[in-house]
Amino acid sequence: MCYQCCDWFKQHRPHLVEKRDSNGLNMEGAVDSDTSSITTEEPQTEAKPSSDQVTNTETDSISNTEDAATDNSQSDSGEFVVTMLAKAKLEEQGLGVKGRSSPLLEAGTQDMPAYMSHREEDVTAESWRQHRKHVFVLSEAGKPIYSRYGSEEALSSTMGVMMALVSFVQTSDNIIRSVYSDEHTVVFLQKGPLVLVCVSCTRQSEQQLRGELMYVYYQIISMLTQASISRIFEHKKNYDLRRLLAGSEKILDGLLNLVDSDPSFLLGAVHCLPLAASLRDSLSQILQKAITSNLVFSILIAKNQLLTIVQEKTVIEDARLEPADVHLLLNLIGASSAFQAGEIWTPICLPLFNPDCYFYAYISYLDPPECTVCLLLLSTDKEAFYAVAECKRKIEEAMTAQNSLSLIDKAQSYSVSQVGVSDLRHFMYKPFDVPDNYRQLSQFTSPEMEAPYSSEEEKTRLLDLYRYMHSRIHSTSRPLKLIYHVAEKETMLAWVTSKFELYTCFSPLVTKACAITAITKLLRWIKKEEDRLFIRYPPKYSTTPNPSKSSRSSKSDQQDSTDNGFLSLL
Amino acid sequence: MASGMQEKQYTPSLLSFFVYNPTFGPREGEEEKKILFYHPSDVEKNEKIRNVGLCEAIVQFTRTFCPTKPAKSLHTQKNRQFFFEPEENFWIVMVVRNPMVEKPNKDGKPPTIEYQEEEILTMLQYLFNGTFGRAMEVGGVEQLIQKLEKFFYRYLQTLHLQSCDLLDVFGGISFFPLDKMTYLKIQSFVNRVEESLSLIKYTAFLYNDQLIWSGLEQDDMRILYKYLTTSLFPRHSEPELAGRDSPLRPEVTGNLLHYGRFLTGPTNFKDPEAKFRFPRIFVSADDGYEELHLIVYKAMSAAACFMISASVELTREFCEQLDSLVGPQLTLLASDICEQFTINRRISGTEKEPQFKFIYFNHMNLAEKSTIHMRKTASVCLTSVHPDLMKILGDINCDFARVDEDEEIIVKAMTDYWVVGKKSDQRELYVILNQKNANLIEVNEEVKRLCATQFNNIFFLD
Repeated sequence: MCYQCCDWFKQHRPHLVEKRDSNGLNMEGAVDSDTSSITTEEPQTEAKPSSDQVTNTETDSISNTEDAATDNSQSDSGEFVVTMLAKAKLEEQGLGVKGRSSPLLEAGTQDMPAYMSHREEDVTAESWRQHRKHVFVLSEAGKPIYSRYGSEEALSSTMGVMMALVSFVQTSDNIIRSVYSDEHTVVFLQKGPLVLVCVSCTRQSEQQLRGELMYVYYQIISMLTQASISRIFEHKKNYDLRRLLAGSEKILDGLLNLVDSDPSFLLGAVHCLPLAASLRDSLSQILQKAITSNLVFSILIAKNQLLTIVQEKTVIEDARLEPADVHLLLNLIGASSAFQAGEIWTPICLPLFNPDCYFYAYISYLDPPECTVCLLLLSTDKEAFYAVAECKRKIEEAMTAQNSLSLIDKAQSYSVSQVGVSDLRHFMYKPFDVPDNYRQLSQFTSPEMEAPYSSEEEKTRLLDLYRYMHSRIHSTSRPLKLIYHVAEKETMLAWVTSKFELYTCFSPLVTKACAITAITKLLRWIKKEEDRLFIRYPPKYSTTPNPSKSSRSSKSDQQDSTDNGFLSLL
Repeated sequence: MASGMQEKQYTPSLLSFFVYNPTFGPREGEEEKKILFYHPSDVEKNEKIRNVGLCEAIVQFTRTFCPTKPAKSLHTQKNRQFFFEPEENFWIVMVVRNPMVEKPNKDGKPPTIEYQEEEILTMLQYLFNGTFGRAMEVGGVEQLIQKLEKFFYRYLQTLHLQSCDLLDVFGGISFFPLDKMTYLKIQSFVNRVEESLSLIKYTAFLYNDQLIWSGLEQDDMRILYKYLTTSLFPRHSEPELAGRDSPLRPEVTGNLLHYGRFLTGPTNFKDPEAKFRFPRIFVSADDGYEELHLIVYKAMSAAACFMISASVELTREFCEQLDSLVGPQLTLLASDICEQFTINRRISGTEKEPQFKFIYFNHMNLAEKSTIHMRKTASVCLTSVHPDLMKILGDINCDFARVDEDEEIIVKAMTDYWVVGKKSDQRELYVILNQKNANLIEVNEEVKRLCATQFNNIFFLD
């Protein structure tokens, strides 16, 4: 058992590879000499897997964990997977590395004071009660796993009550769904051995809140896989999952902040950075050319928005890449500064694609130290690090040759004034008629939020209005085709057709006739600009070496290896 | 359906209804004492205790997040529970089974259908019982339990969950439209009766289940109105056959000189055995609650309610006096109003079936008006529109309730019906338009026309 787990760990650990170490010739490809000097300041021991180190791996894993904390304070929870696996193992073997006392976590919390204060909040204080949205995750045994505000320890009795309610209702062969009071909506979601609870004082519908809890669940799955979570709890009902998730609270915090501030989650669509079609095409071509076997997704991200995504043909014939999986990936990258350190190789699960298996993600920023353009390469082969790193080198090279980075740098979101429709303050447009829609990621476009929605409060208020319109128009019991809502501060119009979904915000005194003209103009503008606003023809490549071997079978291979390795820990 | 198998449809139905006070059995083993009323009563004791326990736990749990505003409802896969605390520590709970459509071969995902029940569960019991606390002072817990038993038994029979809609939420009062002359006649009738029978403290006058005149406070009248129209009148409608009720047949059957009769109190006060006991109601007074006898007297479609202080003993003589005084006058008034009504109807009846239906409600005087409801009776609420459209009205009403400002909401349903909601000041207007091909601008024009004809003196946001 020990052999297996060590072996597994060794193979799954992220590789913090310093450039010169990993690849000498890479230096010439570096755009900026400053960049390389920064990344080479703290040379790290490369964690190169080699089969003759089996006996040594355990100490190796410990030192690796500590190294990460001491040598590179930036790489805190970025290594969450490796960290938690290492810790779980150590705990199991009685080596006494306890959850919060980990040096790695301390390093992580030091540079995040806000994060710390949320955890240490007084849960009996009025300020704690007044949070807009609480989220709790607990195990079926009532053990706290995560709380957005306040520490899990302080909330253990509250979470115990939640679990008691869930199981009490369960005993009469029923399922608890929600509780309403004048100020709060409490939504319960049970997923396998996990119970997720949201306490919200927003106007959001139960359906929307449940959707957000699903995102939290999926983010946990993306780190551990569904299969391993079920197996852990099958084996030990009162297992403290925080052992495995320690250090990842920041990722969940980040997710919830994003869910609150980014309409992508509400619309179930990804937001692309507007880009000249020629530039987007050239970037896609660069990604298309830099391939290796078992590479399935190549994703280029800038300013937390999608630039382009290239997908493996046979893989997306099997299953579609869901926007939610992309959101989770974007959150993972955004929530941690660890990825800015160099190159990361980490197992990650895309829960909607397949909740039980890991992909291997290669993550690297292309423009250090600014770190706005990020390359994400996903492979199904856990041994492919070097091959994938070589892809990155090729991509970097081609992008330098075409001066892509500076072009990307100029790209930015647009202002609603560019549409040229007076009275129109903001909008969100999600088309359904993108060519090749069947395998296409849902996308949407939306301008910057400008005055009068520039303050945080007003932004939130506008988003809340959109959420309310969305919940009414997509109500499960009685959906609508159109809503026109005149209120004191603005007039909102939501419209769903077979071709698109549109939400618009006008000044309050707009007349119905004006609003309709404005929408006609807006739709015309979007049509004209669609090549810039959307990824119109999602590029593909073929990397499967043996076409007869479908990705599904390769997936099950991975699942086997997961089972062998990780689950034997317990 | 294609498979030929039948769809099984469950309508919302009342599963249980109970009243408890958590302070009555705080110790373990005494939980049963908390329960003051439980319907259905044949539920096993432990089951009752369990259900009350869950309610207590839910309420307590929500206090963690807001100590002053605890839970109002709990939704589970199978049912919904509504919590209402009319007085400190007294909780009324209603459990309703979710409506469900079981489709063979498909997983029976229950559609979420909102009830607006908690609103209905208002203070009806006060009318008859006064406060819980007061009943306790008078007769202790035992008597309170008995009273609740009696009251809720009857109340639950008048509860028809399937047909609850927006009008139930408003709990409004439908006013009978009348010309000035007839209105003055009624007022002078009320004054005359109150002068001759000085015992009468308050009077209310209704025609066709619609209110014309009331001397009660608005909130009390609202509850009394609800009781009269949903409980008392329907129970007495049977002996009044439509033909006999019609003023077009003035021949008097029997020896009666008028059509007047008592709906409360003794059925036949000529009977020497008759007991002159009338239902007692509680209305608000300067110092809390005032207890009154409720006499309801009806002639044809006109009904007069007389309220007399409960401290007075009502006698046969009084009833005879009232009968002889009120009976002939009320009969006359009823036929006057009826005539007026027919004329009015003839005038408005010349228009052809309008393209729209509407509901209007004024929060200030509780006035409601609906062209959606053909006739609102206790058992069936006949509406002329699809239930889903009625629920959309409910949704819009919820949206209005969230803000104080004037608002307008126009929606297009999946069936292409347009629904327009307007809120101005304290008034709300809901219009359903049956012009499927209309666009937003045409709908707007149509509603403008409606406001101009029906509500020309009320300002609605454009």
